[in-house]
Amino acid sequence: MAPIIRIENLTKKFASLVAVDRLNLDIEDGEILGLLGPNGAGKTTILLLLTTVIKPTEGTAFIGSYDVTREPDKARTLVGICFQEPKLLWVSTPWDVLDWHAKVCGLSSEERKKRVRWALEELELWNERHKIIHTFSGGMRKRVEIAKVLIQRPKIAIIDEPTAQIDIVGKHRIWNMIRALRDEGSTILLATNELYEADMLSDRVAIMHRGKLLVCDEPKKLKDTILGGDVIEVILEKNVSQKSLEELKKINRVVDVLTTEPNHLKIYLNQAEEVLPQITEFFMKARMPIKSIHMSEPSLDDVFAHYTGLTIEEAQRK
Amino acid sequence: MISLRKVWTVAERDMRMFLQYKFLLIMRAIWFLAQIALFGLVVNKMVSQAVQQAVGGDYFNFYAAGIIITMLYSTAVFIGYDIYEEADHGVIEYLLSVPVSRKELVIGRSIGGGLRSFMYVSPMMLFVLYIIGISNPLQLVVAFASLFLFTFGIAGFSITLAVSIKSSDRFDISLGVIDALIVRLSTTLYPIAYMPSYYANIAKFNPLTFAADLFRWGAGIESAFLTPPAIAVLGIVSFFSLFTFLGIFLHERKIEGGGWQ
Repeated sequence: MAPIIRIENLTKKFASLVAVDRLNLDIEDGEILGLLGPNGAGKTTILLLLTTVIKPTEGTAFIGSYDVTREPDKARTLVGICFQEPKLLWVSTPWDVLDWHAKVCGLSSEERKKRVRWALEELELWNERHKIIHTFSGGMRKRVEIAKVLIQRPKIAIIDEPTAQIDIVGKHRIWNMIRALRDEGSTILLATNELYEADMLSDRVAIMHRGKLLVCDEPKKLKDTILGGDVIEVILEKNVSQKSLEELKKINRVVDVLTTEPNHLKIYLNQAEEVLPQITEFFMKARMPIKSIHMSEPSLDDVFAHYTGLTIEEAQRK
Repeated sequence: MISLRKVWTVAERDMRMFLQYKFLLIMRAIWFLAQIALFGLVVNKMVSQAVQQAVGGDYFNFYAAGIIITMLYSTAVFIGYDIYEEADHGVIEYLLSVPVSRKELVIGRSIGGGLRSFMYVSPMMLFVLYIIGISNPLQLVVAFASLFLFTFGIAGFSITLAVSIKSSDRFDISLGVIDALIVRLSTTLYPIAYMPSYYANIAKFNPLTFAADLFRWGAGIESAFLTPPAIAVLGIVSFFSLFTFLGIFLHERKIEGGGWQ
């Protein structure tokens, strides 16, 4: 079956900055694809290109069978977007914003009222439906923004940072609503820099860095690609030397060692339970007291680090 | 193919938005009352009998009809400020993402910007017509239809200006200057016969002149100095067509593809 979104050599430049660099990606009908990467990775630019808000410098994308550069009007009929920053005028009310959005998307009067009410109630905005948005918190504004796409139920829902500024209870509610949207037939393209969100919601995750697609696969397969399936994180009381790092790498079953801080190590290895005593002994002998030690399975952050040499947090800072 | 339903949906949004600016609406209404009840009455007493005769027997009626056109102009032009407000809040990106073509968006906004102005000014228009009196309803219907187009044209002009000038401060200043020139170089406040010829030659082609003279004709004011109605209608239709086309063209060229940033 043909993919519902086909991205071909998509490039977007802003002056000398290459925001999206020759991106090729297929998105299958009915899947949730997570676009994961730090701020500035090009995620939002891709979403704006797919919704025809901006034009590509080179390449194109097909939404269904419509080329976004040649048939943007038709492409937009299949797409709905929840922006990262809520796009709302301060004088508007949630009811007006959502009712108009439903109307412009072609919903009948009856269906419009039903869906707007449903979304406002689900997102706990019903009592505030006639209050002006100027008085709303960031989280409330974000809920109004995401309500647009939930009401529209488009064939392709593009969602940028769905739970930014939203509390943990609200996050879970929105995640469930996104899953329900997919179950009703929407394909979901989800941009996020939250690892847990990407891991939990996505059928596949595309990892982006500096405008380039590094890798795209199911979260589990991505984690399995890391040599050394386990991770031991060690925080030492003093900084670790290069020599010690080299010696550490020589321990049997240790695959790689990454320093995220001068005294903070991530050791990628196989069969961590068996190697752990050797590692603690190594630090004791080297007179480097351990402040804390933590053993875990690799996360998408480790996948990102594997491909870039940086954690997402570090990439964000840079 | 342009969908009228979508055009109307866009227009309706702009009309609803206008009602949110309660402070502006109240202030504009006070401005109108001050212009009629204070300035108009005082100036009317200062105007000579000869001028009163030249403008159809009563300068106050001539002036009140002109003030209606300045009201239509100043409220229709407000759509440009909305575009800047939307750019500040990122709403332009949202509007570009909805399933509406760029042409439908611009035409809808021109109609919405014009229609809301017409609806807002309607009670004032009726008040002025009550003062002047209506002698020929058919003429008035023709004038009203043309004034509809006039407000759409002004909204299109404002959209054109807003997307051409990428700074809200510059837009604000430019509009202030344009407002001073377009109102004063027209027959909204005084008849063309009393203008120096070099001003009169410009005023003859001013859309506000066409609109003001047509409204006076519609209200039954008889003066040799009014633009002939056929020319005024033609002038308004040309103005409307030019700025609707320019609005669409510039919107597609400058807004499409992230050009507003």
